[in-house]
Amino acid sequence: MRKGAIKETEQNQEQFLARRNVFKKSMKKNLYYLLFALPVLIYVIGLAIIPAITVVYDSFIGRNGYTLANYMALPSYGLYGALINTMMVSVGALLIQLGIALAIAMVLIRPFKGKKAFSTLVIMPLGISTVVSAFVFSIIFQAVGGYANSALVSIGLRPIDWFNTNSSSLGVVMFSDFWKNTPLVALILYGGLSSLPPTLYEAASVDGAGAFNRFIHITLPNIAPIMSIALLVRGVSEFNIFALPLVIVGYHPLILNTLIFENYSSLQTRNISYAAATLLLAIIMIYSIIVVRLGGARDHVN
Amino acid sequence: MSTNRGKLGTYIAVIILSIIFIYPLWILIIYAFQPAYLTFDKLYPSQIPLAFTLSILVQSFKKVDLIGPLTRSLEVAFMVGLIAIGLGIPAGYGLSKITSKLSNKLVVFLFVINMMPGLVVAIPISIYFLHANLDNTVFGVALAQELVVLPLSVFITLSAFRSLPRDLEHQARVDGASLSSTFFRILIPMIRVPIIVAFLLAWMTSWDEFTYAVIIAPIVPTDSTFPVTLYNYVSRNLPLESATFALVATIPVIILAAVLQKYLKGQYLSGGLVG
Repeated sequence: MRKGAIKETEQNQEQFLARRNVFKKSMKKNLYYLLFALPVLIYVIGLAIIPAITVVYDSFIGRNGYTLANYMALPSYGLYGALINTMMVSVGALLIQLGIALAIAMVLIRPFKGKKAFSTLVIMPLGISTVVSAFVFSIIFQAVGGYANSALVSIGLRPIDWFNTNSSSLGVVMFSDFWKNTPLVALILYGGLSSLPPTLYEAASVDGAGAFNRFIHITLPNIAPIMSIALLVRGVSEFNIFALPLVIVGYHPLILNTLIFENYSSLQTRNISYAAATLLLAIIMIYSIIVVRLGGARDHVN
Repeated sequence: MSTNRGKLGTYIAVIILSIIFIYPLWILIIYAFQPAYLTFDKLYPSQIPLAFTLSILVQSFKKVDLIGPLTRSLEVAFMVGLIAIGLGIPAGYGLSKITSKLSNKLVVFLFVINMMPGLVVAIPISIYFLHANLDNTVFGVALAQELVVLPLSVFITLSAFRSLPRDLEHQARVDGASLSSTFFRILIPMIRVPIIVAFLLAWMTSWDEFTYAVIIAPIVPTDSTFPVTLYNYVSRNLPLESATFALVATIPVIILAAVLQKYLKGQYLSGGLVG
């Protein structure tokens, strides 16, 4: 009995040593091949992580050492408005994009005449530069000489001063963003939809489920993971939205990124701009964590 | 009955969506090819073109510098594409050799870093570049923009190397090929399509990139890429010149997108999704 036990421990030890050797070997191999990826890692650490740490650190630095003064001063630079506007644009644009993209994906999944032409048309905005599309939308929505107003007048409606109020200006930004970015979301969702087995729908049809019920009970739950990926990707970019509002509305209404951009260039306000940047970073991190936790996007990332 | 109604609904949706997606491009074209009295000077301009002229284009080329910024954008985009595959190929190769658990974690790490706001990263970089005399240079802008494209490049090359048969490299080595000749004569040619895709995607991203460019090479017109210069012209209220510029800058991307469509069959999109 005791002998057996000793033998067993010896065996265990041998196994352990063998496994450790294999582990060591694979670690060595891993380390060797990691060298190939080292330039990329150094690049990202040096040009992304260290700069970001600098920003966060400097946002807590005042004239006499550590301070929260930069954050306290932010409201006087228009922080609250910028925060609310950023949220409004992000959430609004995300909802429009998801809704229309889902519609496009549902259309594309069916066979119809002219499908190829339609899909080419739909992905076209992906190839148009952000600044170019921002410029075109600023022509379309101009109060004087704008094409949106000329369309309104031609059907007998009154022209609108699109950039007169905060909400209509943000509406224009949202619409331009929808135009530029819906194609990507539609492609993502189309990928998700086309991977669903058709038998799923056939079975439901046999069971007598109507189109609406099939959508709610089959389509939506099945593409929820891929929708959460779309939400993660687009949501993060929505909070980062910069060129579009800068070209279309300038600094009125402010969003977080234009607030950062407005104040970064002078030394007096640079740390103020860093404080705003830190807030934006925090918002994006919190948002990503929530989406990944809720939607299980993580399983799909790997 | 219901399928007919469904079809009709589909066609109505298709038509409305098509109009929405084509409309801005249509406006850009009729703005650039009509005389200003029909567009810029008109209170309610017509939605359909009433006259045709090339004078807006010709005048714009005379009045402002369009070639300079486009050339710089081209230089930056090629540099970004080359660095992307130059760094991406070895990284993809190395990561394909280590345990997939670790390599997946590293790729996710790259994509997560990519989620950081561009401005947060760009402002400190511009200060480093100022000290290194890289501000306002083509190389400096390319180095900064590279951050945006690196994760996807690594992801594409990694997936490509993973899809190669495992024995391939081993057999080549047994046959007496050296590491470098195996790499350059056998492995690289086998994944040339993903490499082209990675290059083109990086190129197109750089062509569109604004945030890093405007910080690293700001509104000094002689030293900026085309998106920054276009922003400059728009904010100086030069709509006719901007329209010309926008149109000219869109053409190379449309050509590239057509090339890309040949190679792109959706599998790289799932890489794009992650970031």
